[in-house]
Amino acid sequence: MKGLDLFPLWLSLRVAVVSTTFVVIIGVALAWLLARKRFFGREALDALVTLPLVMPPTVLGYYLLVLLGRGGPAGRLYESLTGDQLVFTWRGAVVAASVGALPLMLKTARAAIASVDTQFEEAARTLGKSEWQVFRRVTLPLASRGILAAAMLAFARSLGDFGATLMVAGNIPGRTQTAAIAIYDATQAGRDAEAVTLVLILSLVAFALLYATNRLAAANIK
Amino acid sequence: MLNARVRKTFRSGGADAERFTGASAGEPFTLDVEFQAPPGVTILFGASGAGKTQTLKSIAGLVRPDSGLVAVDGEVLFDSERRINVPVSRRRAGYVFQNLALFPHMTALENVEFATVSLPRRERRAKAAELLERFGVGHAALRRPREISGGEAQRVALARALASDPRLLLLDEPLSALDEPVKLGIINDLKELNAALRLPILYVTHSRDEALALGERALVFERGRVVAEGEPHEVFGAPRTTSVARLTGVENIFAGRVLSRSESAGTMTVELLGREGESCRVEVPLTRARDSERVTVAVRSGDILIATEKPHGISARNVLAGRVARVEQRSEQTLVGVECGVVWVASVTRQSLRELEIEVGKPVWLAFKTYSCRILDEA
Repeated sequence: MKGLDLFPLWLSLRVAVVSTTFVVIIGVALAWLLARKRFFGREALDALVTLPLVMPPTVLGYYLLVLLGRGGPAGRLYESLTGDQLVFTWRGAVVAASVGALPLMLKTARAAIASVDTQFEEAARTLGKSEWQVFRRVTLPLASRGILAAAMLAFARSLGDFGATLMVAGNIPGRTQTAAIAIYDATQAGRDAEAVTLVLILSLVAFALLYATNRLAAANIK
Repeated sequence: MLNARVRKTFRSGGADAERFTGASAGEPFTLDVEFQAPPGVTILFGASGAGKTQTLKSIAGLVRPDSGLVAVDGEVLFDSERRINVPVSRRRAGYVFQNLALFPHMTALENVEFATVSLPRRERRAKAAELLERFGVGHAALRRPREISGGEAQRVALARALASDPRLLLLDEPLSALDEPVKLGIINDLKELNAALRLPILYVTHSRDEALALGERALVFERGRVVAEGEPHEVFGAPRTTSVARLTGVENIFAGRVLSRSESAGTMTVELLGREGESCRVEVPLTRARDSERVTVAVRSGDILIATEKPHGISARNVLAGRVARVEQRSEQTLVGVECGVVWVASVTRQSLRELEIEVGKPVWLAFKTYSCRILDEA
């Protein structure tokens, strides 16, 4: 096998890191909102964010393409702010991976935050702490294992996104071709050795992440 | 001085009822209390589910009353009419939860330091260490809550509540989980603390002993209302109503009828009505009750003596012959039920029980003074 092209792996890693960062911030904020606040449309919001988990990736990709495209509202906003476009760039892949990973993050983080006894938060409030301090010093540390597990799931999910990423970012070798897409590409073109190598690497990473997540969850129960 | 007027209805089945364990299923529960607490320990006494904890939470701002007013030293913390509702974090109400709620991810020292918001950053750790020392738990500073004993955790929780520089202290059954010797130690600490601070301290308990040991004032809660208030010795020693008598551990409460009155002796004879038409006559202090009027008589089990032979030459005006109907072991004492027309309950020590060879069926005599009997206000 002549030198494996490492670009898809590197791109997948970069997409996953950036996407996980977004997903953790947005996911934890939403999870806190859903676990601790009562407001109109709470469960509807949860359902909306969870939708990508059950929708066909191509349907999700289509929506994103309409939203992020040069004619779409999000796409136009982004272009007016940065002078750049989102679709068919690696940033588009980040958005696609984020939307796919957010439900996993949200579900796990919401459960982790809901499992923190509210009495600890009440105690912190009686001690004169603001809502932000209560969250940062009490809720977050007590839910940290669950949130870390959620982040790892989100990372694993981001690393392997295929359908939505293909729709939004395309399959441009050296620019938007992630590892998952490169596997598809290699298989189609009969470059089996390349496909097998990438398959094994992605499988190994996914397994390691899941294993670590389970260990974390188990430690949390104790 | 704390002024509190709290009214709130807890619907059953909702989130409130879930938190409020006392509400019986299917029935809404209304808390409706009004009281003042001067500096010093005010006991909130009552059975569980009487509304004591919800009152504390309303004052702390953890529960929002439907209507009412909460003010400390003239500063309004809650006023439903003026729509004032100061957030929990700005009420400066030190709260010790029943299960303490020490932060499990922090050491004892960090727990206390966390509360020292009012101090400059540099002084916080020293202040926290000083408070732990003061409560005798300096040695536990670097341990986590799950690594220290119940008594130590209790002291850390008190230190933490004080670290936030509170204007009042709310203690929710702080000693209920502790052994007797540990309890006594903390009661002494609390007394010293109270003498030094002179803050209004509300102390929730259903232990008469704690109430008598600590309280300067007591409020008796029943079904969401304050049914009696006053000095603990007053409230507990001479309960005026049946419900307070029951709550404060008076075991003998009987309905009866006035048979005769003696103005000169200051006494009257009451016939107590037992089951199946049986009855029992006792001499009680004179009240304004007229002949044949129905009255309720209450006697503490601890005020009744048991004799295995008929007592002679005794000043007690009530001497009743009967048979032991049951013997019930409690932690500190033994309750003996004696059938004499009605079933009286007398408490004896284990030693007396053994020496007198008291057992079910044995004939015994009961003796108690006229003035051990109290006539209660209502049935």
